[in-house]
Amino acid sequence: MLKKTLSSRSPIKVLEKNISGGVGPGNIGIFASRKGVGKTACLVQIALHRLFEEKPVIHVSYASRVDYIISWYEEIFKNLTTRENLKSAMEIHDRIVRNRVIMNFRQEGMKTEQVLKSLESLLGPGNFHARTIIVDGFNFYLPCAEDMALFKKFATDHQLEFWFSCSLKGEDPLFDEKGIPFVLKDYLDSIDVIITLEHDNSHVQLKLVKDHDQISNKKLKLQLDPQTLLLE
Amino acid sequence: MNRTIERMRNIGISAHIDSGKTTLTERILYYCKKIHRIHEVKGKDGGGATMDYMELERERGITITSATTNVTWNGHSINIIDTPGHVDFTIEVERSLRVLDGAILVLCSVGGVQSQTLTVDKQLKRYKVPALAFINKLDRIGANPFKVKSQINEKLGRRAALLQIPIGLEDKFQGVVDLIRMKALYFDGANGEIVREEEIPPELEDEVWQYREELLDTVSLFSDELTEAILEDRVSEELLIKAIRRGTISREFTPIFLGSAYRNKGVQPLLDGVVNYLPDPSEVENIALDLDQNEKPIVLKADTEAPCVAYAFKLEDGPYGQLTYIRIYQGSIRKGDELFNTRSKQKFKVGRVVRMHADHMEDIEGAIAGDIIALFGVDCASGDTICSPGLNYAMTSIYVPEPVISLAIEPADKTSADRLARALARFTKEDPTFRMYIDPESKQTIIQGMGELHLDVYIERMRREYRVEVTTGRPQVAYRETITTRADFDYTHKKQTGGAGQFGRVIGYIEPFDGNYEFVNEVKGGHIPREFIPSCDKGFQASLRKGQLIGSPVIGVRIVLTDGQFHPVDSSDIAFQLAAQGAFKQAYKKARPQILEPIMRVVVETPSEFSGNVFGSLNQRRGIIVSSIEDGVYSRIEAEVPLSEMFGYSTVLRSMTQGKAEFTMEFLKYGRVPANVAEQLMEEHQKKLEADGKK
Repeated sequence: MLKKTLSSRSPIKVLEKNISGGVGPGNIGIFASRKGVGKTACLVQIALHRLFEEKPVIHVSYASRVDYIISWYEEIFKNLTTRENLKSAMEIHDRIVRNRVIMNFRQEGMKTEQVLKSLESLLGPGNFHARTIIVDGFNFYLPCAEDMALFKKFATDHQLEFWFSCSLKGEDPLFDEKGIPFVLKDYLDSIDVIITLEHDNSHVQLKLVKDHDQISNKKLKLQLDPQTLLLE
Repeated sequence: MNRTIERMRNIGISAHIDSGKTTLTERILYYCKKIHRIHEVKGKDGGGATMDYMELERERGITITSATTNVTWNGHSINIIDTPGHVDFTIEVERSLRVLDGAILVLCSVGGVQSQTLTVDKQLKRYKVPALAFINKLDRIGANPFKVKSQINEKLGRRAALLQIPIGLEDKFQGVVDLIRMKALYFDGANGEIVREEEIPPELEDEVWQYREELLDTVSLFSDELTEAILEDRVSEELLIKAIRRGTISREFTPIFLGSAYRNKGVQPLLDGVVNYLPDPSEVENIALDLDQNEKPIVLKADTEAPCVAYAFKLEDGPYGQLTYIRIYQGSIRKGDELFNTRSKQKFKVGRVVRMHADHMEDIEGAIAGDIIALFGVDCASGDTICSPGLNYAMTSIYVPEPVISLAIEPADKTSADRLARALARFTKEDPTFRMYIDPESKQTIIQGMGELHLDVYIERMRREYRVEVTTGRPQVAYRETITTRADFDYTHKKQTGGAGQFGRVIGYIEPFDGNYEFVNEVKGGHIPREFIPSCDKGFQASLRKGQLIGSPVIGVRIVLTDGQFHPVDSSDIAFQLAAQGAFKQAYKKARPQILEPIMRVVVETPSEFSGNVFGSLNQRRGIIVSSIEDGVYSRIEAEVPLSEMFGYSTVLRSMTQGKAEFTMEFLKYGRVPANVAEQLMEEHQKKLEADGKK
């Protein structure tokens, strides 16, 4: 029921069609942009898309407040249900909450090994069968080649799909001639999909710059409405 | 001594259970010369700490009932209320907070902000109580007051700064540097009673200036005068104290003190802090509701000449009769005064007035606004407002949560039934979250409360104080029933065979509703005469008391009455009540009824190495893990778990984590019971009905 009402029209489907059916198990995808452009909104929509399919999701955050993340979900959920004119939103909402766990870490002094260990204990003894892991707020400006390799290995071992956000900072240019953010260049081996977000007049334009083995730099037929923060 | 209102403080000591609150209270009493010897909490020397005056509390090393005591420090009269730290007793904490003007929030320098600290902090905020923070146990291995300070900032969201920095830590902890007077303080003598003031140790100079700057920076927000003085580099002690006081009273700032109560260090400066920074009763606004003017809010004046308004916040049944603890908000009370209880509408004369010191008391002639005292032989319940005759005020009532767990009890032998009744009468009067009733079907005595431990403590008290041994049943969860869809009804109640007949017909529908119950009358054209509409309402309400699934109360129902029929002779109040009951029965089954159970918000605080086990244990208990927060060493896991699955969890958690984890639990909402559990419950209910039928 749920799947039909929402997922068929979902822009996430459009996105996944563009990247050979999705980031795929064992792989890592990244949304990269400057602060406040809409990375978290994208991540939350991917998570909600999975949750609508009744697939559990773990949302890993390196920010400090859980209520802040929850309010992101609430906001996007509200906008989605309004747009899709969904009935019995409350019931759907309850089912969504059951399938989502938010894990919060502080990156300073928080080793990736530790994060993965916690994820593992939630997946194993915690009996929480997530296949999608959302990672928001990870700092790519600290040396993290090893960490990315660990995430990649974890994704492969457990057949999980990971979606990260990468906050870009510093002076322009942020991207190389192929559109790849400079900060991610060292980790391309561990990353399967990179999508960048940029302001384009009144909308935010999504650009696919790495699609598994291809470096592409192609504009996606997807935009983010800065009002509702929804992809369309 | 001269008890003027400016020299009065009413404070509470709020904390996490093991942060050393009782030890701190004990030291305060000692330095204020209220007791002459220091006892330790767990009764190692046979005495037990003075505030923990109940035998049971002594044995468990925890404080359950809030005793109040009065001390004198530096010419100020301080009423201290020792508040319980365990979450199952929060009604006690909340009642105490209602009458406080300020609080000391005690934190452990090793454990820092833990889940119970958050609960207590939330309560302080809810009752708008200004607070000082005291970071205790600086002598412990792993003590880190700076970390705790940033936790106060981040986790509690308080703007806080250190007023002191430590001289040494752990086993080298010697004293503190006062950042206001810029002096080092050491605590000499067998019990730290002599405060020795010295110059700041040179190796601490840099650190001292760094934290003093931070302090100035933070509190300059509260005083332009201070900001100017900082720029001109002429900050005086007085100016700084004034700014801190202003920030603290407005609850925008939390000053942090340091020490180790157990090692007798840092307590006296904390007492100075209470006097310097926490408000006197006249600086706090208190509001009463005027019952004669439709509960219009009235701001009370801490004026000793005004008519009296006081609030009974705690009762105790002692060997000399009932003792009522009251806080006077306005006017004064003297022996022989006539007062009026605005709830029971009874007048009474003030007999003995006493000031309490843990378990002994001092007779006094009277007291004025702002003070906390106790009266003897007054018949009232906790939460009552007492006024001078002529006033009819009620202090805003304290929020009392509904009990979530019940337990059937039975005296082990018949002779103690009488004593059991007395014990129950007293406990229910003292604690509004503890209730009892007799089940009309099973004739069993059922007690209800806020958690397993809550009820355990009362069973222990029955045994100790009333010598009643009771056998208990399995704890029962307070289930509810509700409907999930709209259903129509059209029901005629008819009994017209000889004599006066009964006739009533009701038509309408029932549907799910967000609140508990709503009755809507849409009958037009007098098809049901107006005088019988309340009868229908009454009939429906009667049906809601016992659902048809498992006999639990039904909630979340709106009943809309659209039409009906009556008989000029045979229709009556009772006929329409019975029609409504029949109608409800008819519609209920069609409205897809469901069983609801209390879902608790459970927060587990555990060393991260055990988080996997904790996840597993919550999952096993049908829990939904909402979030987990890790800071490297500790994980804070928040979950929603049905109460029925939480029995005995403390034992499980302890053994699973080598006793290093702890949890808090509070009622969150009613949630649907899964189908398999619902079936089981209905089966049990059916069996019970059959068994009762056979009797």
